[in-house]
Amino acid sequence: MNSGKEAEAVINNLIKNGFVVLDGATGTALHKMGIDTGKYTEVLNITNPEAIIQLHRSYIEAGSQIVYANTFGASRYKLVGSGYTPEELIIAGVRNAKKAAEGTSVCVALSIGPLGQLLEPLGTLTFEEAYEAFKEMVLAGVNAGVDLIVIETMSDLYEIKAALLAAKENSELPVFASMSFEKNGRTFTGCTVESAARTLEALGADAVGMNCSVGPDNLAPLIAIMAKNVKIPVIAKPNAGLPDPVTGNFDMDPEEFKACMEKCIEAGATIVGGCCGTDTRYIEKVKELTIEKPIPERTYEKASFVCTPTIPVKIDNVKVVGERINPTGKKRFQQALLENDLDYILQVGIQQMDAGAQILDVNVGYPGVDEAEMLPKVVKKLQSAIPLPLQLDSTNPAALEAGLRVYNGKPAVNSVNEEKEIQEKILPIVKKYGASVVGLTLSNKGLAKDADERFEIASQILYAAKSYGIAEEDVWIDCLTLTVSAQQEQAKETLRAIYRVKNELGLRTTLGVSNISFGMPERGLITRTFLAQAMALGLDLPIINPNQKEIMDVVGAHRVLTGEDAESKAYIARHTAEDAFETNHSAVPDNKNNEPASMTLEDAIMRGLKSEAAKIAEEMTKDTDEMALVQEHLIPALDKVGTLYEQGKVFLPQLLSSAQAAQNVFEVIRVSVLNKGSAPIKKEKLVIATVKGDIHDIGKNIVKTLLENYGYQVIDLGKDVQPEEVCKAVREGDVKMVGLSALMTTTLPAMEETIRQLREIPNSPAVMVGGAVVTPEYAKSIGADYYAKDARMAVEVVRKELG
Amino acid sequence: MRLNIDEALRYLNIRCGSNLSPGSAQEREMRRKTEKMAEMLCFMVEPKYIYRVLAINKTAQGFELEGTDIVISGELAEKMLLESSKAVLVICTLGIKFDSMLRTEQVRDMSNALILDACGSALVEAGCDSAEQEIAARMKGMYLTDRFSPGYGDLPLELQEKMSRALNAEKMLGIHLTDSMLFNPSKTVSAIIGLADTPQPSKIKGCAYCTFRDNCEFRKGGGSCDK
Repeated sequence: MNSGKEAEAVINNLIKNGFVVLDGATGTALHKMGIDTGKYTEVLNITNPEAIIQLHRSYIEAGSQIVYANTFGASRYKLVGSGYTPEELIIAGVRNAKKAAEGTSVCVALSIGPLGQLLEPLGTLTFEEAYEAFKEMVLAGVNAGVDLIVIETMSDLYEIKAALLAAKENSELPVFASMSFEKNGRTFTGCTVESAARTLEALGADAVGMNCSVGPDNLAPLIAIMAKNVKIPVIAKPNAGLPDPVTGNFDMDPEEFKACMEKCIEAGATIVGGCCGTDTRYIEKVKELTIEKPIPERTYEKASFVCTPTIPVKIDNVKVVGERINPTGKKRFQQALLENDLDYILQVGIQQMDAGAQILDVNVGYPGVDEAEMLPKVVKKLQSAIPLPLQLDSTNPAALEAGLRVYNGKPAVNSVNEEKEIQEKILPIVKKYGASVVGLTLSNKGLAKDADERFEIASQILYAAKSYGIAEEDVWIDCLTLTVSAQQEQAKETLRAIYRVKNELGLRTTLGVSNISFGMPERGLITRTFLAQAMALGLDLPIINPNQKEIMDVVGAHRVLTGEDAESKAYIARHTAEDAFETNHSAVPDNKNNEPASMTLEDAIMRGLKSEAAKIAEEMTKDTDEMALVQEHLIPALDKVGTLYEQGKVFLPQLLSSAQAAQNVFEVIRVSVLNKGSAPIKKEKLVIATVKGDIHDIGKNIVKTLLENYGYQVIDLGKDVQPEEVCKAVREGDVKMVGLSALMTTTLPAMEETIRQLREIPNSPAVMVGGAVVTPEYAKSIGADYYAKDARMAVEVVRKELG
Repeated sequence: MRLNIDEALRYLNIRCGSNLSPGSAQEREMRRKTEKMAEMLCFMVEPKYIYRVLAINKTAQGFELEGTDIVISGELAEKMLLESSKAVLVICTLGIKFDSMLRTEQVRDMSNALILDACGSALVEAGCDSAEQEIAARMKGMYLTDRFSPGYGDLPLELQEKMSRALNAEKMLGIHLTDSMLFNPSKTVSAIIGLADTPQPSKIKGCAYCTFRDNCEFRKGGGSCDK
């Protein structure tokens, strides 16, 4: 077969009509044939094509209807040092497979495996780099004339998304997407079966499944979960058990394998084969099953669903959407956006997660901010430390596309409305990236005047979404809250619309709640009551500020009354927990007097009491100049703790607790400066980085935490940083000092090289180094100006150099 | 699985005190915090390991491990594997989950993150201990040498790459090795254990073989990991 269309028809026919038999192992099967595969199995495509052809033929004789070309590891990253390009080995591999399939109806698949490098944030490979590597493989496969593309053995949902996008955007071929799960139902990176199934189907995979890792005895229950979560066919291609550590052999024989595969088929798998440890005998057994067994019956579980790899969120009851990542009316947030302060935005996210948010709305639209550049950056930053699903809140199609592209999992988009023009721009993007979408019941003519009009708009949006191929469970409707102080009669119309949309259209509903009480005294009371009414009438996704305890209390009570909080456990835990006075690490022994009223800022900082320190500072900013607060209270307190640390009387975690309390004080000062319009407190800039090749950066992060407390502007370049990047940051920011860290002996040369390059800059900055294996002597020998043995000393060094 | 609190405290450069001298208020507080963190971590993360038992062929180049391209040579290997007829390659990891937890905790609370990091190091060692016990039970009649790792003494760090490949660690355990020979996930340990027919005395435990001994604040303060 050659044309994409023809191949697609054949494969669609195959998978629609029932079972498809795949092939078995490549690497372990070649070993059994006595062939040494070496480091690069794919090189055999050129050096020993006869063996590869023979292997394919044997699988075809055993009954395989699709054979995987030997291209699994033929990526630019895996082939480093092999002397071959991906294209050379893919073309040769496909040629071999086609030769073996000649004269048969067997299809040839391009096999794409993991790149062998972890993607950000787990590793350092970017999503875009991964995409390029996969694109190169896809294009080579298409040129070589494969019939379909199989992405397999993936454990990172982000990596398989990059591969799937590369396959869909650079070919018209059918694509199978398969991951490796462990017994516990997660991949090595923690991805759940539900997250994988729903994300991959939404992104346009033609079949999803599982291969490798656990043996088929543990696979069937996982296949059953996958089959419930998708409408497309499910693949099972497991190992022949697991290798025995003493004998090195896989522990399952063909008969056992067959018995286990039977369970996988009963669980819903129709595309079946074998992975590591299997050979033609196993495939023959699988072939027998496809003749003996009826096609399994499957029931798709329709669900409104968003996820990250580790957290699948099914909207089957109230889920709280956090509203705080939004610059509207928040000066501090606006400043963070304008200054590119992503750390602050991440903090806002973490706070909401800790307060009970289950989805985070993300809005970064603000004058002076390039949203299309900012949104993907913020998505990546949030996903680096927050496992909750995100709802990207923008009407800018370019920003949405950029954000959705780099999102890991199945996100939501907020929002479209009745306007055709907006729908035409946004709905295709929603479809392409498999997102859910919020439809705001706002018409071309302006605000809807009552519930019925809102209902009509919701119906129109649903119709439009479906016309783009978006499933109805992925459409959520926002019935629009208006301010009760201005339009009192509208509150009940919103509520009635929720009820109708939920019951008559069967859609999930969402609502920005807080707006209702604008301009009223006791705002909270109105907001909470409205929230309770809306949830009672079917609101699924309240968009609220979860940091307000009282509003989350309403959600908790609602969950008791609906029975969702079984035995009221969560409610009881929430309301009987010791309302303990914040006890943190304390650098000074507790005195009996715990009352914040009589506590000084110094005490609070020294004892690491974050919220107390912030409260006291807030009081103080009313009549104290911000600069004086820093110089006369904050820094002396930090210095005292620092001295105790040097004396060995307190330990690093305790020093850091004080630093964090001081950080909270700084946050108060920033807000105060913004509100009063006084001069911002900013000391000199310095650049810090963990050098190229080094991925351990907790030490560097500790230094950063301490330095920020003394008011320095720390430009943190992160880990695994190229020397050129450090130099660039120094030049661009006119920076006078650089801090470098390295943990391993293997990365010390990179530190040396970075310093060498820094020395070539006119007005070369002062360089401070540190890290587990760095010694004062070594620091001197590579031309560093300072060596700091720990974070405390780093602060002293910086003060000495920058003042 | 449980981890050794004293070991975690050691990674934090905190002298742990004993029943006889419980230490200062700050030391007691750190112990309490560390115990709490350890309990949470052990609930959330289970170390995973894989191992392979391989026959040793002693050649002029060193100790060849049958069925692999690994040849272990050098002073340390001579000392450790002298009487061994087999060697076990072990890799143990806390997996990506630990690194994700640590990343989040660094944003939330750097102080706790530091304690979590130390507990992670202790937990991956506990995982290795558990692997060692399984191996001892499986290889009854043979005696285990001390566990030793690439990077110790004159054993090159680069050996990790071949060990990873021999264990198929990327596929079976989800671990990756960077060009600079660092494991990712970060809490991952590779080790070699010799198997001999005669009892093997402990030879290398403690500071003398530690890469970090020159910079170790704990050791400078008079502490030691020697048992």
